[in-house]
Amino acid sequence: MIIVDHLTRKYGAFAAVDDVSFTAQPGRVTGFLGPNGAGKTTTMRVMVGLTPATSGTVTIGGHAYQDIPNPGRHVGVLLDASAQHAGRTGREVLTIGARTMGLPDSRVDEMLELVSLTGAESKRRVRNYSLGMRQRLGIAHALLGDPSVLILDEPANGLDPAGIRWMRGLLKGYADRGGTVLLSSHLLHEVEQIADEMILIGRGRVVAQGDKKTLLQGQAAAALVTATDNDRLAQVLRDKGVGVTVSGEGLRAECATVEVGRAAAEHGIVLTDLRSGSAGLEDLFLELTAGTQREGHPEAATQQSGQQPGQQSSQQGVHA
Amino acid sequence: MSATIAPVPGTPGALDISSTPRVPLGRLVSVELRKSLDTRAGRWFTGSIVALCLAIVVIFALISDGGGLTYGDFLLVSGSVLGYFLPILVILMVTSEWSQRTGLVTFTLEPHRPRVVLAKFLAALVLGASLIVLAAAVAGLGALIAGAEWSVETGLLVNGFVVANLIGIVLGFAIAMLLMNTPAAIVTYFIYTLVLPTAVAILGAFQEWFADLAPWIEFNTAQATLFEGDYVPTGEETAQLVTSGLIWLVLPFVLGLLRLLRAEPK
Repeated sequence: MIIVDHLTRKYGAFAAVDDVSFTAQPGRVTGFLGPNGAGKTTTMRVMVGLTPATSGTVTIGGHAYQDIPNPGRHVGVLLDASAQHAGRTGREVLTIGARTMGLPDSRVDEMLELVSLTGAESKRRVRNYSLGMRQRLGIAHALLGDPSVLILDEPANGLDPAGIRWMRGLLKGYADRGGTVLLSSHLLHEVEQIADEMILIGRGRVVAQGDKKTLLQGQAAAALVTATDNDRLAQVLRDKGVGVTVSGEGLRAECATVEVGRAAAEHGIVLTDLRSGSAGLEDLFLELTAGTQREGHPEAATQQSGQQPGQQSSQQGVHA
Repeated sequence: MSATIAPVPGTPGALDISSTPRVPLGRLVSVELRKSLDTRAGRWFTGSIVALCLAIVVIFALISDGGGLTYGDFLLVSGSVLGYFLPILVILMVTSEWSQRTGLVTFTLEPHRPRVVLAKFLAALVLGASLIVLAAAVAGLGALIAGAEWSVETGLLVNGFVVANLIGIVLGFAIAMLLMNTPAAIVTYFIYTLVLPTAVAILGAFQEWFADLAPWIEFNTAQATLFEGDYVPTGEETAQLVTSGLIWLVLPFVLGLLRLLRAEPK
């Protein structure tokens, strides 16, 4: 369990992390999400004692990181997969870690196998590794000491789709066995699929936190529907007082999908497509961090937003 | 959502650290030693120093006709070659944590930085001592080739060979901690050992008052007495060594240590 309590880190007048509080529970994957430069990495660096906090505290399992003896045995950390001596072999990097923690060298082979780095690859120098391979090596390093808490900064960076799926399975399994996982990312889709709990951070401040359901509560419901007779369905829905707009080949109704289905059933209208059209996490995320995005407002780039009903709403997938 | 109460030990999520001992210092030292030799750069550089010692000692043995030479002379040759390069080896041990960014991992696995610095310093001493022994063996080989007399003045062995090289290790360590950057540290080291004494000598040649002052403030000049065999430094010379050592060795070491203990590895 990681508890971050009113953590602030200032560089001069600039607050990289500004009064951040959250908890990462054991048995869950906690996603730490925010645009570039939002303070994710700084928060994680404070957690492991590399950067001193200006104020506030972080405890891991009830202890300050500095008070954990042989911390590698309790807390697995991956802050930057590229921060390894380019002239060392992958195996040597793990051997140094294992020796420091007092683990047998056989542990190195186990970890190499776990992250699917072959014997030949492990003997190559890190300089010749792709980012994906470095990431695998970094994850192997974090898991070396069989820790019960994992702190991973952008672990999916550079992994191919198969690698991302593999990591997702690995971390899920790890959390299911009771481990605490905190992982950061700027890619929402990646975190959305793995995290039980999400912390959204922008410009050093937590803008929202909770599980997916909680986060989406309060978002206006909407349904995207296509029927064999769209005009009739639109009329039926309007009669019920539901706002309807044309959206592509179908309609966008400002109500829950169940109400569209019920209306269609009552009037014997055949539906060919019905799905939720409410603003997804991505819209929420962009909306919450709008002031902190480097691109100003994402609308400028995509010309669409969940805040503007009536516009075509095919957000899902567009930003991916 | 912000929980402010630390979990009571035994509750889920609390780490039981009672049965985990801290990383013993000896283990940290052995890891640091391993790190200094486990890259091609580290191995080749260390090997090259020994090879260079060997080459120069052998050349020295061959061009001399052995007349009147002692083992001590070879020790001085071998030791001065080592003395030039040993500090660079020590510099690399420290600066690579920053230039190769391995400090991120090193200081995470042992968050008590003074222990990491101590381990590194001890590792540098062990590595330096091993090389000093090797250099002594190389000198022996040279003496054997030249058929030199097997005698050495104790003062020379201790001061000129051992103490001078130990000073070199501390110096390299201090510069590395202060600059935390490999090229800058190496350049500074060479300016310090090659340019500074020359500059001081030139200044001293023109200004008499500076010539008198030089040994007090210039460490290399003050160290000269170390290489004069069984010569026992006078009280004044010892005082000069201490004063200049304070300025050029202790001060950078302390400032470097303070910087390293506060720095944020990126």
